[in-house]
Amino acid sequence: MSHHLPSGVRRSPTLLASVAALAVVAALWQPYAPDAVDLTLRNVGMSWAHPMGTDHLGRDVLSRILVGFARTLAAVAIVASVCVGIGMAVGILASSLHGFARAALLRTAEFASVVPSLVAAIAIVAMFGNGTLVVGLALAAGAWGPHALLAFGLAERTRGETYVRAAAALGASSAHVLFRHVLPAIVDTQLAYLGAKIGRVVIAYSALAFLGLGADASRPDWGAMLFEYRLSMFDQPTLMLWPGLAIVLLCVALREGIGWDKDARTRAAPH
Amino acid sequence: MGRVLTEVSRAAAHLLAASVLAFLIVRAMPGDPAVLLLLAQGQAADPATVAALHAQWGLDRDLPGQYAAWLGDFLVGDWRTSFRTGRPIFEEFRARLPTTLTVGLGAFALALLVVRPLAEAAAARPGGWPDRLLDAATLGAQAVPGFWIGCIAIWLFVVEFRALDLFAGGPLRFALPIAIVAFAVLGPLAQVYRAGLREAARSDYVRAALARGAPRARVVAQQGRRYAALGLLSTAAAEAGTVVGGTAVVETVFGLPGIGQFVVDSVAVRDFFVLQAFFMVAVAWMLLASLAARLARRFVAPGGF
Repeated sequence: MSHHLPSGVRRSPTLLASVAALAVVAALWQPYAPDAVDLTLRNVGMSWAHPMGTDHLGRDVLSRILVGFARTLAAVAIVASVCVGIGMAVGILASSLHGFARAALLRTAEFASVVPSLVAAIAIVAMFGNGTLVVGLALAAGAWGPHALLAFGLAERTRGETYVRAAAALGASSAHVLFRHVLPAIVDTQLAYLGAKIGRVVIAYSALAFLGLGADASRPDWGAMLFEYRLSMFDQPTLMLWPGLAIVLLCVALREGIGWDKDARTRAAPH
Repeated sequence: MGRVLTEVSRAAAHLLAASVLAFLIVRAMPGDPAVLLLLAQGQAADPATVAALHAQWGLDRDLPGQYAAWLGDFLVGDWRTSFRTGRPIFEEFRARLPTTLTVGLGAFALALLVVRPLAEAAAARPGGWPDRLLDAATLGAQAVPGFWIGCIAIWLFVVEFRALDLFAGGPLRFALPIAIVAFAVLGPLAQVYRAGLREAARSDYVRAALARGAPRARVVAQQGRRYAALGLLSTAAAEAGTVVGGTAVVETVFGLPGIGQFVVDSVAVRDFFVLQAFFMVAVAWMLLASLAARLARRFVAPGGF
């Protein structure tokens, strides 16, 4: 029995791979040192030498955008893997347990859905310092709950399907039922739900950096750049353009690359 | 009545879980809070002062005892003192609550006001301009950060339109922040409402009503709205989290003296009692939103769908 993507969801692995490859290049190569200050080159407009111009300290904006790109994608990848990984593990585990253990897992996931993810991240990063891993985990801490509830709903529904019950009745082991039937049905929907919300993860990371809580305040980050450049906004408005455009582009590219289904959650509701 | 009690006790259980977490976050933090407080205030952390602070906060007891002491104080409004301002955190929050509520509730109200006409127009004519506008708003909420729109709006209204009233003291200064937070939740809400309307139009009971000869427009309007409102309510409760985060960000962008801005300023000096209180307030807001949505469901659909 093969499973297909939820109807209407289109996914583009090529786009996703290109974004990832571009981020690796951006992390390794920039035309200039991103933090090199040159006060003789302040607020230079767009040119061949500096395609996005330079900022109020004469730093090359393109180089800073590239570094910010790699850092943003790394943090977002952590959030996405934790949400999908923990979410599926908890959801499937809850569906195969009974009684108190099941209830405890589900109540924990419900509670995690109640905590606003940006608020949890602000608290955790402020307490435990930054670093891409901490920031990624902090954002995931308040975001994995809906993934678990979604996985649980799907697991319950799939186990109840006639063909799965038939397989079990014919003597298929529970591991076989899990890997052959339950897991494939869940993965696609998880990804479609992830795709529908991935833009907000990018925005949440940028918001943290904007508030001074990015992965490392001494390195360029899109949100931090916007926070810094808004002070010179009236002299040099194009400085505000590039980091914002970068955020929008990454949001759209990830959303289309992963594929999204706005109804992923309602469609999988257990009742 | 029994159902209402169940909902309230579920919310209370979540709040209790949040309090354990808020307590543990501060306890798990590297460093002794008392030492950090003294250092932040520029005082010497001599053992006697540290011990006195520990006794005052109940930190000289065992872990459950510490938690009980903290929770007891929190419930009666003793939220400790802010390192940064030296004033009680409860007072700091209370003074800023009206600003934050104006932005948060204002954004919710504005979004809900626009959602119905937009989604109904979109559902009535698939592919028409309201339908596309709704799709664009949804994509916008998924791809355009509110703080960026905020910065651009400031530039636009100050430099291009010279509309400085928007940033002066009066009530107008809330206009842009409310609009920006509303934009972040409008798309998701309108989308759910539109999906509900379309689903209702295809449902058996609408078909049955049509077969009985009831006029189509009236059936879809009556049954569809009720059905779609259910989806809208649960999404609105989930979007309450977006409103909290969005409010903190726009307060910072526009320099509005609300709770969010106070918290962001406190983050820089690791004012952990402020963060602890903010966490509790944010969770309480989410629970209130979800409680309100669940209770409202019972009025919209007393029998349940």
